[in-house]
Amino acid sequence: MTYYVRKTGYFLLTLWAAVTLNFIIPRLQPGDPAEIMVRQLNGQGEIDPAQVAAVKTMLGYSTDNVFVAYIDYLRQLASGDLGTSFTYFPYPVAEVIGQALPWTLVLVGLTQLLSFVLGTLLGAFAAWRRNSRFDATISVGSTFVGNLQSVWIGLIILFVFAYTLGWFPASGGYGYTTPGLTPLHIADVVSHGFLPALTLMVTAPIGFILSMRNTMVQVLGEDYIRLGAAAGLRQRTLALGYAARNALLPVVTGFALSLGVLMGGSILIETVFDYPGMGRLMGEATSNRDFPLMQAILLATIVIVLTANFIVDLLYPLIDPRARRAKA
Amino acid sequence: MRRRRRLALGVLAVTAMLTTSACANVGLEPAPAAPEGFIDEIRMPSEAGGSVQGLLNYNWLSPNATVQTWLFEPLMIRDRFTCEAVPWLATGYTWEGPDRFVLTLREGVEWSDGEPFTADDVVYTFLAGKEYPAADKAGLWGDFFGAPAESVTALDEHTVVFEFAGAAIPKTDAILQTTKILPEHIYADQGDPTLFVDEIGVGTGPFTPESYNGRRLVLERNENYWNADEVRVQRLSLEGQFDANSGALKLRSGALDLYRGDIPNPNRSVVAPDPENAHFFYPPDATTVLALNTERPVLDDPAFREAFAYALDRDALSQRASFGIMEPASQTMLLLPFQEQAVPEQWRGKEFIPYDPDRANEMLDAAGYARNADGQRVDADGRPLSFVFSVQAGWMDVIAMADVISRNAADVGVQVRMVTTDPNAIEGMQKAGDFDMTVDFVSGGCQRARDLGAKLQSSQISSDQELLLNRARYVNPEIDALIDEWTNTTDESRTAEIEGRIMDVFMTEFPYIALQYAPSRLIYRTNNAVGWPSDDNPYPVDQLIRLSHELRPPGEADADGED
Repeated sequence: MTYYVRKTGYFLLTLWAAVTLNFIIPRLQPGDPAEIMVRQLNGQGEIDPAQVAAVKTMLGYSTDNVFVAYIDYLRQLASGDLGTSFTYFPYPVAEVIGQALPWTLVLVGLTQLLSFVLGTLLGAFAAWRRNSRFDATISVGSTFVGNLQSVWIGLIILFVFAYTLGWFPASGGYGYTTPGLTPLHIADVVSHGFLPALTLMVTAPIGFILSMRNTMVQVLGEDYIRLGAAAGLRQRTLALGYAARNALLPVVTGFALSLGVLMGGSILIETVFDYPGMGRLMGEATSNRDFPLMQAILLATIVIVLTANFIVDLLYPLIDPRARRAKA
Repeated sequence: MRRRRRLALGVLAVTAMLTTSACANVGLEPAPAAPEGFIDEIRMPSEAGGSVQGLLNYNWLSPNATVQTWLFEPLMIRDRFTCEAVPWLATGYTWEGPDRFVLTLREGVEWSDGEPFTADDVVYTFLAGKEYPAADKAGLWGDFFGAPAESVTALDEHTVVFEFAGAAIPKTDAILQTTKILPEHIYADQGDPTLFVDEIGVGTGPFTPESYNGRRLVLERNENYWNADEVRVQRLSLEGQFDANSGALKLRSGALDLYRGDIPNPNRSVVAPDPENAHFFYPPDATTVLALNTERPVLDDPAFREAFAYALDRDALSQRASFGIMEPASQTMLLLPFQEQAVPEQWRGKEFIPYDPDRANEMLDAAGYARNADGQRVDADGRPLSFVFSVQAGWMDVIAMADVISRNAADVGVQVRMVTTDPNAIEGMQKAGDFDMTVDFVSGGCQRARDLGAKLQSSQISSDQELLLNRARYVNPEIDALIDEWTNTTDESRTAEIEGRIMDVFMTEFPYIALQYAPSRLIYRTNNAVGWPSDDNPYPVDQLIRLSHELRPPGEADADGED
């Protein structure tokens, strides 16, 4: 029982620290939101202080006292109010995120889940057939692709499939159709999502492949596997039931951590494909010093990652008997 | 084994089917044909500031207005090249004394819902800025450049009078073209206009909203537009935001007619594959300058600054920073050749500072910066001259400039070290005066007291809170007094006199060293429309709305004789 109490305590403490850091970090960045906004309206070059002052009034933020701002921030959070976005003024942050989130949830959520399944399977198989040609191809290939920039891969995919072959649209979440649950719109959304999804599918499984392969190779060296093999257990049982199951633990934790991208999205890939998701939004919020928006996105990311880890922590004793015993 | 192969083949076939059927243009219906003499459709990137585009708001006061250009109109447009005020919603203005501004409005203009456009709309728009300062984009009610306004009243349906607390001539262009006029009959009931989410978009402009699906905005020609005869574009569609790579690809594939982002070397990436139809026009919009912090030792010496100006190879710089597209700029800070007539007599033919390292070396010797044993120039205390050039990280053109400048400097024995930092951090440094050299811009507008004078005015030196215009932190009480006089006089000969004196400062004291022109970018295709600005038919497009009156279907402009 103390295990759960301690884990809950940790969870709450990290949450508070994260919330506070989330307040401080954006403010440590140089740059004034009003000036950035005026620059965006007028292009680079000169900015008129009168206009900056006007925009400051419009956004209604105070730069003078950080402590007052912190208290306000906590109070707002407690009441569930995320504030008004600077970039999308006068729309509230919640509405802005509400527009972008579904796109990323579907695109990144699906690819992340697929990557996890595909990555662990490939990794497990490579480890099982270690030192085979398959293993060599997978390991070297992943390391190679993993070192390429995902933007670069995205650009190549964009160039080949959208511009040279013309099979898929190059940008956006949808095109000419009106949003709604119509077959036409769904086809539109799918055809727009395909290339960014493909890009993500090239890069996202790599982490899972490598970590799964490496842990499983280690597990395969353990005595109980050799004992199992000697005792004549079926190959499949040995590979999936014992080795893969035990190797999966750290990869599951990795998956929980990777859920953070659900909120942050993939800024660069979404920019390349002009995809209307959270990644673009996050990039925009950062470059505009849109404090309310930035904080809301970061906060949601932190909460998702922390909660996912908390859940994994709670589930760990169920998956791993050692954890249960250690806590007793 | 065989079964597995067949399965793989099946998967391949399904994928192939999916890919070919999921064609790139789901739901696209081509734009209906426009009448003879009209352009069916012009496609441009979205004008909305943000990438989340489902949030519709036509209110131009919003930082994320869905349309910035085509619905609401300014009163007049200042032509950057000729400095004429082009009549738009207003047909003319006069300063009846430096504190009384009278505006004559165009008659017969209607809002797109049929209501007449009158002086009340103009009065409402400007008074809103008094009550809600955030709506005061023109700075009319503040005391920045000119006295604050005291009243805005309608003399009759078509005449508006602005009264100021004192001389306020520098506010002219802010009134004329920064502010766009809002419909009083719709906005007045909404309270604070900056908080109003306008989902209808009733404007006086050449286009009205036709459809919006959260991504693609289609605007339709406004039949009742006051200058409808000149508008030959039936439909404008605005969609998506593209980085330079995607923008270039879209333009090349013909999916866009206009793109305004910074595509590096547009000659090669856009024009070369299709020289017939793809073009670009980068008219000078401002002067990119090297701002020297005149508060720092050595940089406070005009003789050093002048010598340094001769040490810079602007041709090489233009080649590196803009692939030779932008010309080296005039040290008078005027946009040449367009503003040629404004160059003072004595500087004609001398306004471009040549690359002359020998001369720079002589001048540095004469100014007392001798070389030491290692060939470095030293100051009076024998310390080698060394400066930090603070550069915005990621601004490739500025980095290229800084690179050329530091090599040129090394050639004359001066060390210039480039340090790249976050662009916002550079602004912080400019505010605090914590830099040796940075890149800055001098506006090429026509209100020269403000666009040129302010760069030298000591009241325009930034404080910690505000980023102001005098980035070189130049101080000269005589010049301050002249600029004050300049801002408030309506006497033309005196204006020309003072303008000449200010240019003398740029030409002889070099607080800013002109590098090359900064463009307003326009990359376009001529398959669907001609009449875009070009070298043969140049016109400034800092107010994009001008395009709506100039574009013609291909084949017609030649017959039209271009108006």
